[in-house]
Amino acid sequence: MIRTATSPAVLGFTAALLFFIFSPFLLQDNAVYYRVMTMTFFYGALALAWNLYALTGNISLGHAAFFGLGAYGSALLSHYWHLSPWATVLFGGMVGAVYGLLWTVAFGCLRGARFALATLASVEIPRVIIDNWESFTFGSLGVVGITGFSAVRVGSVSIALGESLKAQYYLLLCCTLVILLIHRQFIKSKWGWAVRALREEETAASMLGVNVHFTRSVTLLLSAFLTGLCGGVYAHLMGLIEPPLVFSLHISALPLVLTMFGGRYLVCGPLLGALILYPLDQVLFHSLLPVGHSILYGLIIIVTLLFFPHGIGSWVQRRRTFS
Amino acid sequence: MNIFSNIFKPIVSLVVSLTVSVCSAGAALGNSSPIRVGEIDPLTGKLAKHGQEIHEGILYAIEQANSTGGAAGRKFELLSRDDQSQPEVAINQAEDLIYREQVAGLVGGYVDSLVGPISELAAKHQVPYVASASLQQGLTLGRHNPYFFRVAHLQGVVEPLCSFLIQELKPDRVAVLYASTPGSTEFGQQVRSCLLDAAIEIPIFEKFRPGSPDFSAFLLKIRRSRVDVLISGGFFADHLILVRQMKEQKIPLRAYIGPWGIAYPSFLEAMGEAAHGLFGMCAWNPGIAVAGADKQSRAFVEGFTARFGKTPNTTTMHGYTSAKALIEAIRRVLESGKELTGDNICRALRSLDLLLPMEHLQFDLKGDPKHYQQVVVQVQKGEMVTVYPADRKTGEIAQPSSE
Amino acid sequence: MVILQLIINAFSLGSFYALVALGFALIFGVTHAFNLAHGELILLGGYLAYTLAGQMQVPFLGTLPVTALAMVIIAILLQKLLRRVGQPYELNTLVVTFGLALVLQNTMLMLFSADYRIIQSAAPAIELPYTQLLLTRTQVILIGTSLLATTALYILLRKTFLGKALRATIQDREAAKLAGINVRRMSLVGFAIGGALIGLAGPLYARTTYLYPSGGTEASLIAIIITIFAGVGRIRGILLGGWALGIAESTTVYALGTGWRELVSALVLISLLLLKPQGILSRKPKAARLPG
Repeated sequence: MIRTATSPAVLGFTAALLFFIFSPFLLQDNAVYYRVMTMTFFYGALALAWNLYALTGNISLGHAAFFGLGAYGSALLSHYWHLSPWATVLFGGMVGAVYGLLWTVAFGCLRGARFALATLASVEIPRVIIDNWESFTFGSLGVVGITGFSAVRVGSVSIALGESLKAQYYLLLCCTLVILLIHRQFIKSKWGWAVRALREEETAASMLGVNVHFTRSVTLLLSAFLTGLCGGVYAHLMGLIEPPLVFSLHISALPLVLTMFGGRYLVCGPLLGALILYPLDQVLFHSLLPVGHSILYGLIIIVTLLFFPHGIGSWVQRRRTFS
Repeated sequence: MNIFSNIFKPIVSLVVSLTVSVCSAGAALGNSSPIRVGEIDPLTGKLAKHGQEIHEGILYAIEQANSTGGAAGRKFELLSRDDQSQPEVAINQAEDLIYREQVAGLVGGYVDSLVGPISELAAKHQVPYVASASLQQGLTLGRHNPYFFRVAHLQGVVEPLCSFLIQELKPDRVAVLYASTPGSTEFGQQVRSCLLDAAIEIPIFEKFRPGSPDFSAFLLKIRRSRVDVLISGGFFADHLILVRQMKEQKIPLRAYIGPWGIAYPSFLEAMGEAAHGLFGMCAWNPGIAVAGADKQSRAFVEGFTARFGKTPNTTTMHGYTSAKALIEAIRRVLESGKELTGDNICRALRSLDLLLPMEHLQFDLKGDPKHYQQVVVQVQKGEMVTVYPADRKTGEIAQPSSE
Repeated sequence: MVILQLIINAFSLGSFYALVALGFALIFGVTHAFNLAHGELILLGGYLAYTLAGQMQVPFLGTLPVTALAMVIIAILLQKLLRRVGQPYELNTLVVTFGLALVLQNTMLMLFSADYRIIQSAAPAIELPYTQLLLTRTQVILIGTSLLATTALYILLRKTFLGKALRATIQDREAAKLAGINVRRMSLVGFAIGGALIGLAGPLYARTTYLYPSGGTEASLIAIIITIFAGVGRIRGILLGGWALGIAESTTVYALGTGWRELVSALVLISLLLLKPQGILSRKPKAARLPG
């Protein structure tokens, strides 16, 4: 835990960061790299946001609800009121947080498998309503033609975020770094210790002066807000959303898988899962085996989890402890 | 914090190796090198059945072109990718095909929500994209995309269906059930408006999620409201359950019409006797082809069955038709001695005039097919009989078994 | 009359849900393995029955023992695999079986192609005398099998020594260990019985709905929902939970429309979780934990 500027940890992290910052200068217009890495950061961010709440010990299987509400909130606001995507994405996050507030009220006393199941079921509520409210949400037709991110002016330079893949890459990199920082606080700070105490033994934590309900609620709200934000970003990046796309089980389950794969107690764990699995699948497996890529994907998950029950990050950590 | 360095070392090396592999491809496209054609379809997951069918149609078209010498001495090479029914995967894979594999054109695509993003990508990179089974109208409305073509559209389904209902069946009360997908929803809305124009009552107009395991309560409602025709905009699998439960519950209906999923040889095989009397729609099927293309159609069925060991169907034919259009356009560009660029291929596509088993293929200015029209078929004793339109009729409507 | 018919249909749908859930519930209860590949195993059983019925002309009921036996073997293999999974057990089995589900789905895609398969039932529906109520052969089999399986399981758990040991393991693993119960052997037994139940559900799945390689997710979801709906380890609760869900869905479709089916079942589920957190038959607090 020595945080000096020269520790190898900081060096490694900085090296990786520098790589991601400067690799575009080497690659110029490698569209595949930008597309894949943008989505990698995106899923990394989603996994980090999900893990914030998972750190309290309650596993959610319903984050697609926040994601979908964020996407729809953002897309509809931009469709009807023509606000800048920057504003609507924030609004999307808030819509997610409002639903998170409902969760804390309704599911506040649920734990474990019952909590997981209640969250899983709660995805259906906004999904079916949006699917049937055709006059406002376009129902099953989905929202199409969502405006992309508007250009940002920095001094005299204008960055076209809507068109430039490179700009989107940096945008998602920044988002992910911010969420990574929040995630780090959740593990390392005093708040993080409270969260950890909750996870290990709730009654004991409350004896020690942790406000159980407050800590859980705030964590969930933050997690929901960030997931909603991701949903909004997704809507504006893709330009179209449909209920089955944004309220899918895939969106709820993938963060869990990425996090478990990377290591759920590690600062970079969820991100690590995304950084390994997503590019590997999209660039390598898909082109190697157009039909069987999921078999490789599944096998990697099985084998990794059999050998590293705490995620692949724990392997690195363990190797370090022993050496 | 110490973990960072060790965690990031493997990532950095992984990313570097991926980057290298991303960069190393491409280039080196000489004159004798194969012409690469990219295909994006849902090869796995829920839509795998139709994705695979389209894939086989495309593959057959490519192999056929190669066996007749390719284009100007160059062979075609098909690169297939799976879109997993997710737009971001479709985009990644399309981008990979265009950027890394340097394909000359793209074909395939089964779901509108995935065809849309790919078509935009195609426009951005100026690569032609001929979609195989896209229906939605919104795709060719609004912003003009000169690189996007498709061999099917929704009017080709809705128009013949509506005139069939109004002119032939003349029902009093119709129930419309549609799936909660964009294509099926649009279909449901259009059918409703044309039936209401003809003063036909629609007491039941409902949507359902594809994959529902049970329709018995819905069928009870059908019985209670005494509709005589049920139009079901579900898909292959939904008809399997719906038709079986309908037969089991002895729901009295004059006609059951399923525009998608009924007119498939495999559907008739799976349902057996229970399929008798059902109405379906298709653009093509073995034995059902546009005028003048009968011989070509028969040759296709024979060749395809010999190659894949199964009967082709209308979805296969959509894949075949789209690939055929692209192949023909590429051939024309090369034979006229022009350079194989996206713009040249698109120009060739726009001037294309091909008689194919499924349709007389010509594209209009928006990239829509000019002559795409499906026919209404009825299942009679395990065979598909064309009953509408009149000029393609091969038999009369058999009244459903009145047992 | 319509209402009675609706109820018959709802009960048969509920029995179908219960049958799909039984194997999952038993395995989860005894071993705490969260088997996401449950649906894929059901499909595998279904494909086996489809092949038997199609190629060897085995009558439908004759396929049930064969698939049950085959799935017992596969479930035991699965147990050997999951035994190696480290702590936290529930979460890790969840992720491992997620990977396994992907592998199985795509293997089935290669083996059986993406085509939809159904097992046809040719026999006409039975019309109940003096009413116009219809009862199809499939509905009879569904309701009959679910009642039989539940009763058999109930007797096994309540009246035999093995059942006592199993129940002890379900209720408290640590205490069971202290009482001298070989928990590892119990886990093997749990998987074996669960496998037999999965093998029973497979052919019925193929006969009630249809088989296709990625259809397992829906079956797994049904199983998970019913299991926790019923309260872990409560076998009679499974059947009741299935029926409750079947009735909720059928009445929704009938009264509101097909588009609202999922919403109402979600609401029923959530309110039940809030009102009776330990399951519909709960008396004393005790539930499995998805870990933290």
